[in-house]
Amino acid sequence: MLTKVSSVANLGLKAIEIEVEVNVAEKGFPGFGIVGLASKAVDEAKERVKTAIINSDIEFPTAKITVNLAPADIPKEGACYDLPMAVGILTSCGEINLPKNKSFFYGELSLDGSLRHTRGVFLLAFLAKEQGAKDIFVPRLCANEASVVEGLNVYPVDNLRQLIKHLRGEKYIEPLTPVKSEELLELLTPEFDFSEILGQESAKRALEIAAAGGHNIFMMGPPGSGKTMLSRALPGILPCLTEKESLEVTKIYSVTGNIPAGGSLIRQRPFRSPHHTTSLVGLIGGGSNPHPGEVSMAHRGVLFLDEFPEFLRGALEALRQPLEDGFVTISRAAGSIQFPAQFMLVAAANPCPCGYLGDEKKECKCNIHQIMNYQKKLSGPILDRIDLHLNVPSVDVNKLMLNSNQVNNCEKSPAIRERVAKARKVQQERFAKIKGVHSNSYMKNRHLNEFAQLTPAANLLLKQAVNKFALSARTYFRLIKVSRTIADLASSLDINDGHVAEALQYRIRTGE
Amino acid sequence: MKTWNKYKINQITKADFPEQLKKIKNCPERLFYRGEWDNKIFDKSLAIVGSRRITRYGQAVVEKFMPDLVADKITVISGFMYGIDSEAHRKCLELGGITVAVLGGGLDILTPSENDDLYTKILENGGLVISEYEADFKPTLWSFPQRNRIVSGLSTKGILVVEAGMKSGSLITARIGLEQKKMIYAVPGPINSLSSMGTNWLIKEKWAEILTDIESITKRKSVMVQEQLWDDNLPPLQKKIYNLLKTEPMSVDEICRKTGIRVTEINLAVTMMSLNNLVAEFNGKIGLTNV
Repeated sequence: MLTKVSSVANLGLKAIEIEVEVNVAEKGFPGFGIVGLASKAVDEAKERVKTAIINSDIEFPTAKITVNLAPADIPKEGACYDLPMAVGILTSCGEINLPKNKSFFYGELSLDGSLRHTRGVFLLAFLAKEQGAKDIFVPRLCANEASVVEGLNVYPVDNLRQLIKHLRGEKYIEPLTPVKSEELLELLTPEFDFSEILGQESAKRALEIAAAGGHNIFMMGPPGSGKTMLSRALPGILPCLTEKESLEVTKIYSVTGNIPAGGSLIRQRPFRSPHHTTSLVGLIGGGSNPHPGEVSMAHRGVLFLDEFPEFLRGALEALRQPLEDGFVTISRAAGSIQFPAQFMLVAAANPCPCGYLGDEKKECKCNIHQIMNYQKKLSGPILDRIDLHLNVPSVDVNKLMLNSNQVNNCEKSPAIRERVAKARKVQQERFAKIKGVHSNSYMKNRHLNEFAQLTPAANLLLKQAVNKFALSARTYFRLIKVSRTIADLASSLDINDGHVAEALQYRIRTGE
Repeated sequence: MKTWNKYKINQITKADFPEQLKKIKNCPERLFYRGEWDNKIFDKSLAIVGSRRITRYGQAVVEKFMPDLVADKITVISGFMYGIDSEAHRKCLELGGITVAVLGGGLDILTPSENDDLYTKILENGGLVISEYEADFKPTLWSFPQRNRIVSGLSTKGILVVEAGMKSGSLITARIGLEQKKMIYAVPGPINSLSSMGTNWLIKEKWAEILTDIESITKRKSVMVQEQLWDDNLPPLQKKIYNLLKTEPMSVDEICRKTGIRVTEINLAVTMMSLNNLVAEFNGKIGLTNV
């Protein structure tokens, strides 16, 4: 007897409906075969399904079982088809009846019949809603992911036995109560508060500007000057995710299986800090069955690259497209996939391989060639795409001690966040009608005329600076964008010379 | 790029050398050169040597002394490496002076590669690029100290050591200079500065004469630079920063701490001042341009 059960496959961030066709034939040699471009994990489902059914006290049919995953030309990956297969076999044997409404089944089986955490449930819920299905059956551990999608009955399943009882009508599983997504959005405490960082006023201000306008930022300084600490404190001044942003981020996290068991929406802005040995595919995304990389995991959040020049050259160069466009396109023979990647890049580097070039106390031990090679890696197109550049000098501990009374005057993160949130709000209203632009940093040059008018004095100052510091055209436009953010922070409609002058302090400095 | 190799390589033998070079120990038998050789340009010449790793202070010293040297028609001889060498060549050319570079390798080997334009400019301004090695000789560790005897030997006015660490090549040049009975001048620096340890040591051990103003070399009164007029027209904050920086260069953070004024305002003032050439940034520190 033939049974068809609905499930899904993930292609990039897109979910596609998969029909799991199960045929149990009394004739023929007994066996279990899976067709439909199944990967190794899918193929091994045979043993899991068989054992799980037996361990749920149901006799496994001695018959010829054929499973087809349709459409047959899409590659299927992962163990999420265990549950639909088991349900198909049991229905074909007449043990259970499928629900009358269209229902989706999804999940990995354990040998004892219980269901394990399975990635991609969030996308499944979206697809089910699109397809007009009412009921989805998913493992309890990841059922919360689906509960934010309205108008769905999400049935959290603990084990196969429980599901059999439900489908036989013996004992029903309680569907989860839907959760309003905005209720989940909240601020989580970051590792450091800004007031804990002593000195570095200039760097703190730069981070405030960066956070307000979504600008990329580059920090250079000797070891121990506080680059990492500054970056780690950054999430504390970023405004919380909006509902829409949260859904976008959750999609990516669900596909990569990064939502912890029991978790639902991702509520905090992502902060990703991949190690400098990360490969190109790890950073950008890819693989034969493309999966998102760190840049997409940092979507709507912060990508922190410490020891920037130590990253593989190719990986750094590949950052160009996401930095410019806000997404990554991965092309494979089977087709191309886009992953969103609108992140704020925070890059940190030492001035030379040993780290102490220009330091007052420690002598730099590098020879000139090493320094030049190191800085060569930094220069070029990638730095040109970074809006704010700053030097983070080492802080003299004694100086800090003497002025310890000033420590109390340091601003706390929430106070800064309030200013940042206000500036972001101004930008949201400004770019409400423009697609793909959500902050000043994503303005295209054609938008500058409309949204970033300089006063005559500011214009004059900028032109002077271009001549004096030999700035490139791209740097010129970046400076205007940063000035726009500084003006937004000051709640000023016009960009005046003061705003431009401050932006100039954070200009690119290589080649001067 | 590379327009300098349009200039022909010539040879000069010992007989035609300037007198002061003939006298030195291990005098080379012949020299290769690009440019127009004229012994007259060496009549008044000064060798400037110093650290490859130049600091803001070293830059300022070269900038301060160079106008008087050029005005006095003194030819600047140096070693073409990065740091003080290149800075001396460049500053001299900027002011229209004649400068001579003695390479540590052959004339066709450009080391360091970023001095491509400097090579051409030296030749265009009537200077010379000299080497004792064949044109395709690649410089080695020993060839740099070797050529220092020529840098020193060509000078008539002596050797000026601007910045030097202990155990640096500049100290080797100073030693060779002493052997050749040249006048050695050293510019003193802060006693805690690594890049002035060598020069301070030369002064302390009485190997070199302390050089605090260029008059000891040019033997003429230089024009005193007046405290400039705009000093009075500066906005109060800029004036405050200006006075603060008179003692030493500082980072923006330090200025903030010293003045107790918000970083946004300091940033603004510093930008204005750098646009007006009052201050410049070096290694993350803001310093006055006319030290």
